[in-house]
Amino acid sequence: MIQIQHLSKTFVHPVLRNVTLRVPAGCLYGLIGPGASGKSVLLKMITALMRPDAGTLHVDGQDVLGLSEIELASFRLKFGMLFQNNALFDSMTVADNVAFPLRRLGQLSETEIAARVRERLSAVSLAEFAERIPSSLSGGQKKRVGVARATITQAPIIFYDEPAAGLDPVTSQKIFDLLRKEQETARTTVIMVSSDVDRLLTVTDRVGMMYRGSLVFDGTTSEAQTSEHAHVKQFIHGLAEGPL
Amino acid sequence: MSVDANVETTSALPSEGGLAASVGRAVFEAIDSASQIYGVLVRTLYYVARARIDRDAVIRQMYEIGNRSVFLLSVVIGFIGMIFVLQAGLQMQRVIPDLTMLGASFLELLVRDLAPSIVALMLATRVGAGIAAEIGSMVVTEQVDALRMCGADPVDYLVKPRFLASLIMTTMLTLWSGAVSVGSGMVTAEVIFQVSPRTFWNLHLVHASDLATGLTKCIAYGAAIPIVSSHCGLSTFGGSEGVGSATTRAVVQSSLAVIVLNFIISSAAFIAFK
Amino acid sequence: MSKMFSPIIAAREGLFSLAGTLGKMGIIAHQIGRRLFRLDFDHEEFWRNMYKMGVKSLPIVALTALFTGATMVVQAAPIVQRYGAQQLLGWGAGFGILREVGPVLTALMISGRVGANNTAELGTMTVTEQIDALRALAIDPIAFLIVPRFVAIVLTLFLSTLYADAVALIGAAYAGQALVGVDPSTFYNGLTSGYMGIADVTNGLIKSIIFGIAMGLASCHFGLAVSGGAPGVGRAVNATVVASAAGIFVVDYFVSFILG
Repeated sequence: MIQIQHLSKTFVHPVLRNVTLRVPAGCLYGLIGPGASGKSVLLKMITALMRPDAGTLHVDGQDVLGLSEIELASFRLKFGMLFQNNALFDSMTVADNVAFPLRRLGQLSETEIAARVRERLSAVSLAEFAERIPSSLSGGQKKRVGVARATITQAPIIFYDEPAAGLDPVTSQKIFDLLRKEQETARTTVIMVSSDVDRLLTVTDRVGMMYRGSLVFDGTTSEAQTSEHAHVKQFIHGLAEGPL
Repeated sequence: MSVDANVETTSALPSEGGLAASVGRAVFEAIDSASQIYGVLVRTLYYVARARIDRDAVIRQMYEIGNRSVFLLSVVIGFIGMIFVLQAGLQMQRVIPDLTMLGASFLELLVRDLAPSIVALMLATRVGAGIAAEIGSMVVTEQVDALRMCGADPVDYLVKPRFLASLIMTTMLTLWSGAVSVGSGMVTAEVIFQVSPRTFWNLHLVHASDLATGLTKCIAYGAAIPIVSSHCGLSTFGGSEGVGSATTRAVVQSSLAVIVLNFIISSAAFIAFK
Repeated sequence: MSKMFSPIIAAREGLFSLAGTLGKMGIIAHQIGRRLFRLDFDHEEFWRNMYKMGVKSLPIVALTALFTGATMVVQAAPIVQRYGAQQLLGWGAGFGILREVGPVLTALMISGRVGANNTAELGTMTVTEQIDALRALAIDPIAFLIVPRFVAIVLTLFLSTLYADAVALIGAAYAGQALVGVDPSTFYNGLTSGYMGIADVTNGLIKSIIFGIAMGLASCHFGLAVSGGAPGVGRAVNATVVASAAGIFVVDYFVSFILG
């Protein structure tokens, strides 16, 4: 369970304003909102990649902000993460990229790791790209390598920042369905950020909307779809008229 | 701090305050980054002592730092040997018309200061820029965050191999450069001042204290350059302009680190060995 | 570690690319020279760069000079003590600072701070096609961008060296007092004792101008020659600092030799 209270952060301008949010365990939470509304920053706050200026943050009852940099290293192993720009290591092959989190865990033998990597890569239909280097892949392929890397450790909490960006509609729907299916079987806690609102809402349990650093809506998927909240209504239905 | 540096490079208009204010701000920033750099150093030493060392990564970095700098260093240090002998010879002629001690003083200064300091200044430029650019572009493409998410502290994974490689290679390159500049200095002395190589090769003035000073400098510079420039890389902010300004900051700050360390070690040695 | 390192191949490739680079720098030098002679360049851009390069570098130049001057005294101190010749300290440190260490170290710092930054800026403009955009507007990029920056780099280095010389001598005088016990007035007397002449000052300043020309040409050349996006800018910055550093020492030798 992720519990955020009154989280704020300012760089030059405020990027998070007093965000309070609770994501229950085993929930697939969809985070939507226009560009630069603070969605990615929020994910980085929860994983302690960035430190907030104010507020509290608990993951599974643990006070994250009280951890030292060395304690954080083991704390972060709870998470799998797909970055907005994939963040593939460009000095490693696709297979080494996907295997990296497992190798860091150091619990499995190389043969077991190789088997898991093969399984992950075929799940995102990239089995034949294992030995390529990331710079030789298309944007959509990189995204799918990122998905494979984020899911390989079977972490209890996984964040996907734009899992479908740059993918065609068919592959995009396949990825959403795959991620939902895996989330349901493993009962993982997932936060998914996507601008593809229509497809995102087909898989989410709950939805939150960020706007200019504030969380303006938090509710179930059906509540979101029928919400009369001006920002939410405009954003979900893609209307030209409205406050956004 | 990185934000300030960014603003500074992009704004062309005079900012508030005069020269005193800008010096003051520079000092304040220097203290701020010095404390951050100290943090990186402590964490690097922690991981050197506590965590497994990836030999392949260290060797790869040794190649990056060493082999790729050796050509530049040979050229520069070769000229340094010639410049020093030329200038010192001209001065000595003015005061005492006897050049028999030219080689001895050259070798003394070479061991105690010239070889390690010039090598370090060159490495601060070439290696410092390289490290900052590489780590900086990993920061802006979120690869550093991805490392941290896998439980790999970038200090352990990126800084430590560069730190160890730099310690080893700075010393090796200093030895090599010393040899090159002795060669070029010897030829200059022979051609311009007719001092024979036999007279030139005079180790009378090179004491154990000079060797110890030179070696201390090698180690201090070898440690400072990767730590300072990794810190610049890790604190990169913004897109590709951010990487550019991190690179220039790394060059300036690691050169400055070399100059300041040189003063500290030289004075300490002077006081300790007099 | 894909291929073995071969010094012969590296040296040959190095020489070829060196010849190519020098040739291109020569062309830029000619283009700059022609416009400079006709005073055909953007004055506003010149003053903006003078501020950005010159004024903004003062703190770093001062810090460098202060420590360098002090270090020179520490290096000269054993000789002073060996011969008990206190009046020689000013000469020994002053000579080194004015002729060699002042100009060279200032040039190295300015190359890192200013030369590299200039390459990064010009390089970014090149890869984002801003230079082509200027040409499309019938604005001469050499007169508009390159000449002002080149002149600003040369002047910045010259003035910084003058300033660094003074700060370094002050640093040396007080370090001499603190470490060797030589009174600053004895130190200043040593500077003017007759062993040293005006040539020692002008020599260093002439060097700084030549360093500035070399650095400015390298910086502008590598900035304009960028290809291959953002990583290309990074490579160009690296090439500038390396070329400037090597250039400074090579030029230093020949200038010292000629000026004697």
